[in-house]
Amino acid sequence: MKCLDTERLIGYAYRLLDEPAAAEVCGHLQECTRCREAVAQYGRLDAVLNEWHEPGPSPAFDVRVRQAVEAEQARRERWGFTGWQWARNLALASLGVLMVAGLVWLNRNHRGVDHSTLVATQQSPHAGGAQNSGAAMNVHSAPSPTRVDVTPGLHAPSQESVNNGSTDDKDTQAMEDYDLAANFDVLSEIPKGERRVAN
Amino acid sequence: MAVETDLDLMLRVRDGDAVSFEVLLRRYRLPMVSFFRRMVRDQTLAEDLAQEVFLRVYKSRERYQPNARFTTWLYRIATNLALNAIRDRRDEMSGVGDDDSDGHSILQQFASPLPNAENTLVALERAKIIRQAVESLPENQRAAVILHKYQEVDYRQIAGILNVSESAVKSLLFRAYESLRARLEPMLREGEI
Repeated sequence: MKCLDTERLIGYAYRLLDEPAAAEVCGHLQECTRCREAVAQYGRLDAVLNEWHEPGPSPAFDVRVRQAVEAEQARRERWGFTGWQWARNLALASLGVLMVAGLVWLNRNHRGVDHSTLVATQQSPHAGGAQNSGAAMNVHSAPSPTRVDVTPGLHAPSQESVNNGSTDDKDTQAMEDYDLAANFDVLSEIPKGERRVAN
Repeated sequence: MAVETDLDLMLRVRDGDAVSFEVLLRRYRLPMVSFFRRMVRDQTLAEDLAQEVFLRVYKSRERYQPNARFTTWLYRIATNLALNAIRDRRDEMSGVGDDDSDGHSILQQFASPLPNAENTLVALERAKIIRQAVESLPENQRAAVILHKYQEVDYRQIAGILNVSESAVKSLLFRAYESLRARLEPMLREGEI
């Protein structure tokens, strides 16, 4: 007679089998000594495991739980929010802060672009050479406040202007002296000085 | 007077009834503490974790939905806490494998029913061997055996607690009991210890 596998024997000993499977094992055990002995050994294991006792909670346990619950109640009454309400309010507040920060960032970024465009338009009359004049024309021909892609190096100061002193000072002075209304022809929208160069 | 079910009590706790919470505390304080004692061994930690279970039950009472048995929910919280505590303390516990720090409490447990000191010491030693055998099991097997054998939780319910299939629980229990049989074989033969 073929013995049953260990899983079925353990399952039988620890009542892990459904009714038909348990009945089948029971029938087998009546005829198989080895399997019967194995099941008896699992029964002894069950009895041995029962020898492991653990003491119950200390007398102070209930008091500690009650104190913890009372503290939780007091905390909730003090703040008036549950944990979920806290989480929800915190999420809403974080969202608000993020939106404000985003608006501030967008505003600053927008103003930064306008400033760089203005600087680009101011640099051209002081930059020497036909190349730079031509580049300046391209910028001046688009006086609208829309974003201008200022390619690095396009408006770099000439070697002459660098040698003659600080370009930053000149640029700053130029920005201060520059009168948009006076230098732009309203009809053509090309600065008068640059129009001469173009002609 | 009929005994109130856990579900009825918990629904009343949800509505703010402190007395019902007290009944649940009295009903499950011993199972919870002994479960944690077997899972993490340390008495102080076991009580801290059991307290945490009751506190979590109280905190989440308003969101309690009676979808599953109360004990499934309770033991799921407890098992997760225990497994986290075991992982947190793994290194610490490995260094005190043969420690008998809880010997005093076990001694107290056995003091009255056993007739003399020798029997007490033998019982203490046997309990220690059994405890070490259970502690040597992988975490999930240990949790499954403790729930099945000592907390008397049905394997179908254990599946809900451990969030695994019923066949997976059976597999965990088969392997766990077979390992325990092998480790405790000397004790299974009468007169060996």
